[in-house]
Amino acid sequence: MNAQVPSWAGVATSAALVVVCVLVVWRQRLGLSRDVLVAAVQAAIQLVAIGAVLLLLFRHTGLPGAIGWLALMVVIAGQVAGRRARGLPQATWIATAAVGVGTAATLGVLLATGVIAIETRVVIPVGGMVVANAMQTAALVLSRLREEARTARPAIEARLALGLPAREAFAPHHRSTLRYALIPAVDSTRVVGLISLPGAMTGLILAGVDPLTAIRYQIVVMYMLLAADALAALIAARLSERALFDQAHRLRQVATP
Amino acid sequence: MVAVFTLEEVSVRRGQALLLDSVGIEIRAGSCTALVGPSGAGKSTLLRLLNRLGEPTGGRVLLHGRPLPEFDVLALRRRVGLVAQAPTLLTERVLDDLRVGRQELTEDEAAKLLERVGLPDSMLERPTAGLSGGEAQRVCLARTLAVKPEVLLADESTSALDPASTAAVEAVFKQLAADGMTVVLVSHDAAQARRIADEAVVLTAGRLVEHGPVAQVAYLQGDAV
Repeated sequence: MNAQVPSWAGVATSAALVVVCVLVVWRQRLGLSRDVLVAAVQAAIQLVAIGAVLLLLFRHTGLPGAIGWLALMVVIAGQVAGRRARGLPQATWIATAAVGVGTAATLGVLLATGVIAIETRVVIPVGGMVVANAMQTAALVLSRLREEARTARPAIEARLALGLPAREAFAPHHRSTLRYALIPAVDSTRVVGLISLPGAMTGLILAGVDPLTAIRYQIVVMYMLLAADALAALIAARLSERALFDQAHRLRQVATP
Repeated sequence: MVAVFTLEEVSVRRGQALLLDSVGIEIRAGSCTALVGPSGAGKSTLLRLLNRLGEPTGGRVLLHGRPLPEFDVLALRRRVGLVAQAPTLLTERVLDDLRVGRQELTEDEAAKLLERVGLPDSMLERPTAGLSGGEAQRVCLARTLAVKPEVLLADESTSALDPASTAAVEAVFKQLAADGMTVVLVSHDAAQARRIADEAVVLTAGRLVEHGPVAQVAYLQGDAV
């Protein structure tokens, strides 16, 4: 790799572009100057910190450190996605399980088959992409199911009253939720490269990799994200179903967030 | 007197609120019983205990002398059908709706069910979206009857309907009771209870106030409640 990477002086120079943004919001009296400055400084601090952590992981901890780091990301993702579905019983636990299984299954298959290298510098960024995608999907599933359980209670109870088991009574809502949650993943897969150059490919090209090589990586990543989203959605939906109904096939009350 | 349901000191508490307070009644086989009382009296709460969409926090409910939790809950709900307050159609076509609880229902059987609730069999192919409130409620009633329940529970099933539709649904309840089905209906309308029911249970603030033949229940003797 012989790509030219900006020096620290170059980074400092690019800060002038933040000033451009501040000038625009200040001249337009948007009242956002302080927010822009805080965001820019915060982003720099966060990235320096994460760069230092990654350096530590790459140099000293090896694969166990990478897996530990991924596990931490899964826990954080579970908290974030669970918060989106406040009011749904056990939302955080469900989101964590969905993201964790979606990530472990897809990344595990690609590592086990040797499609991607078992190296810290591969596992962490690729795993991070999977976790982020699975988190968004799990959050969509949980928040949508919570709304379905609240707004479609008469229809769900009408099916239960006919003697249908909870899973059948909830099936139409389960299906529509999965569809709703997976459409973004399908759409972004369909337009990849046309209206966006995705992260993995962009990174490889910036690092000096031949574009035709970079796209191979991207294709693998897209397929992995599709599978991870589908698994995370399914697990989130199934676990939510169990949390939404009791042993006597009754729909629990879902608290208003 | 053969009791279908026996409620023994049944209470329902939700948080700090006591929705039912030690209610003890028997519901006779083949009777049409109206649960009446003001809003918030616990009528719907009581009704939902009978097919275990609700659960008592105290006391117990027996069906033919056996506590409800001893029955398989799904089989119990097929024996004790419920028609809700607002008609909720579940599919896009009337025939499909009638099959929700019984997939093997034939078109002939479906047509007979519609006839039983006073609707023409030509309605089987109709989209559910275009039905009036009264038609929709009768389709819901037919859908419940499709699973051949032994008891029919109706929770204010005419409260969202116009007078003509109300009369049509009431006629179906009366006919079902005349055919020997046990019917338990919640109503806030004393006149309706007098028209349809032969027994009445009066609840106020979760407590049993009166229970007996409609003609003897003082609560029902006024013009309106």
